[in-house]
Amino acid sequence: MDDKARQTIADLALAGLTLAGAVILFIGAVSLPPPRFEPLGSAALPRILGGLLVVFALIVAVGAIMRHRSSDPIVQEDKTGPKADPKRGALVFVALIAYVFALDVLSVPFLVATPLFVIAMGMAIIGISWRGLISFAVLGLVLAIFISTVLERLLYIRIG
Amino acid sequence: MADAFLALFALDNMMLLFIGTALGIVVGAIPGLTASMLIALTLPLTFHMDPVSAVTLLIGEYVGGISGGLIMAILLRMPGTPSSIVTTFDGYPMAQKGLAERALALGIMASVVGGIVSWGFLAGMSPSLARFALQFGPWEYFTLVLMALVMLAVLSQGSMIKGLLGATLGMAFALPGIDSSIGQARLTFGSDALLSGFGLLPVLIGAFAISQILRDSATPQDISNMKLPSRHLPIYRRDLSYIPRLLRGSVIGTWIGLLPGIGGNIAALVSYSTEKQISREPEKFGTGYEPGVIAAESANNASIGGALIPLITMGIPGSVTEAILIGALTIHNLQPGPLLFHNAPEIAYGIIAAYLVANVLMLMLMWGLVRYIAQIVRLPRSGLMAVILVFCVTGSYAVNSSFVDVWVMIGFGVIGLGLEYCKVPLGPFVIGFVLSPIAEEQLRASLMMSDGNLAEILTRPYALLFLALAVITVAWPSIAKRLSDRKTTAKDTA
Repeated sequence: MDDKARQTIADLALAGLTLAGAVILFIGAVSLPPPRFEPLGSAALPRILGGLLVVFALIVAVGAIMRHRSSDPIVQEDKTGPKADPKRGALVFVALIAYVFALDVLSVPFLVATPLFVIAMGMAIIGISWRGLISFAVLGLVLAIFISTVLERLLYIRIG
Repeated sequence: MADAFLALFALDNMMLLFIGTALGIVVGAIPGLTASMLIALTLPLTFHMDPVSAVTLLIGEYVGGISGGLIMAILLRMPGTPSSIVTTFDGYPMAQKGLAERALALGIMASVVGGIVSWGFLAGMSPSLARFALQFGPWEYFTLVLMALVMLAVLSQGSMIKGLLGATLGMAFALPGIDSSIGQARLTFGSDALLSGFGLLPVLIGAFAISQILRDSATPQDISNMKLPSRHLPIYRRDLSYIPRLLRGSVIGTWIGLLPGIGGNIAALVSYSTEKQISREPEKFGTGYEPGVIAAESANNASIGGALIPLITMGIPGSVTEAILIGALTIHNLQPGPLLFHNAPEIAYGIIAAYLVANVLMLMLMWGLVRYIAQIVRLPRSGLMAVILVFCVTGSYAVNSSFVDVWVMIGFGVIGLGLEYCKVPLGPFVIGFVLSPIAEEQLRASLMMSDGNLAEILTRPYALLFLALAVITVAWPSIAKRLSDRKTTAKDTA
């Protein structure tokens, strides 16, 4: 897929999601009471913003379609830097979700979950190696002890 | 003001300012990490501080964060912050010629001068501007907020429509929760978790820190061409001839910083272009020319002082970082605006005092430690990102001791990433989120006062002026294009 097609799809997706957001605002505004003590009322801003979102979404969508049909090339981004690897970003995201899920839903202790998360994140970014595993485990443990001490002893907050 | 300096010189506040400035320099020096991200991450820690200490720490981080950007801009042509992009134009060629130490010395000196000059404007103009803003009523405030939002959306990088879309989306995300005017739930769809709305901190941390870490973790960093400074930083008597250039850059930076939406990067660019236009040797710019570094660095640092003026006098953020600072004040039940000088003078003058001292601390830290700070970029980024993510999770959790905030933070991280992928700027989105409640409150108050009569705005000259400026800001790109097309046609005909 070339850059032009990718940008068109991104813009159309943005327009679609924005329209969905506008619909949610309109639905939410329907259940709000009419103004009683003041002229504007609680539902006015959701309706105004919903209307604006519809207008902007349509402009973005029409612009994307027109750009896709035209023969003009799109402005190329600077691609001289190192190439991005979306898989690594996705792995980091999965590790983050698993970490919060472990703390929140599974009630895994903070001192256990944090070193495991740091190891998982490190391995996701630099790859699997024994040296990396040990250094990330140490980093995670030190970090977990430091943060839990600050939270529990100084701020009286218990986590995990 | 003297009391503010006395409070600042207390040991704990000076320690916080020192830590904030040092942290800011380190974070600013690391490409990809920004002052906004650092301030958003530190915000949960300030909950338990007194407001003066909290503001002192955050101002130190802000000044350090912007200044630290010059290190990697000069050594690696990789600006640590967007404000330092223009510094790469001449700073990096100087480093390539073996003059890295000289470029760093000039950059640091220019940053400090820019900071001090803009402090003069901040200290001199703020109290009188605040007194003037006391005349403003709800109409003026509503149109001022509208103007700031529109300017920010239109002037941010990329498409104007996407900037406006980002601001509107940000405003929409601020709607759920209890409507404070009538005390009724709005857009919560029966969810108890949404009754208090989306928290400012999870939104800020998610939109900036999480989205940035997810993006950066996918991109490896190449530091193979970095040349570390090896000698002391040289400064000479002949550098006194740079004073007019330093002052010019500082004044340009301060006045550009005053305008909402125009950040340090534009200030640096305008200062650089001005310097090039009036120079007798314009061809030397971009080849490692000392005045280029001076123009960029004096202006980008001065823009901070300029941006703080509307923040403390009117409660209007000029950029994302100021929006976060407004959040910090709100957390401590302080409303930035003209009444801040009356209700909490220790905070208003505390910000002004902290800004000056942070610049002096920045000079000392950068001058003495730049060689060591530059080494930080060699630390493994994977470990750094893991540490930041753990801080993001614990920081969001600590706000209400609730994991709902952590999930909200992750959600806004994904939204931030999605918006950036679709080239919707994050600045208007976040500032829309921050300013939406103020805009709605002021509009509702205005209409209540005028019995629902919108025409009342025609009797308010300042409100009309702000509204006109907002309309001109939106219309200007197409007007400018038409004028330029007409000029080209006239030239072709001739």
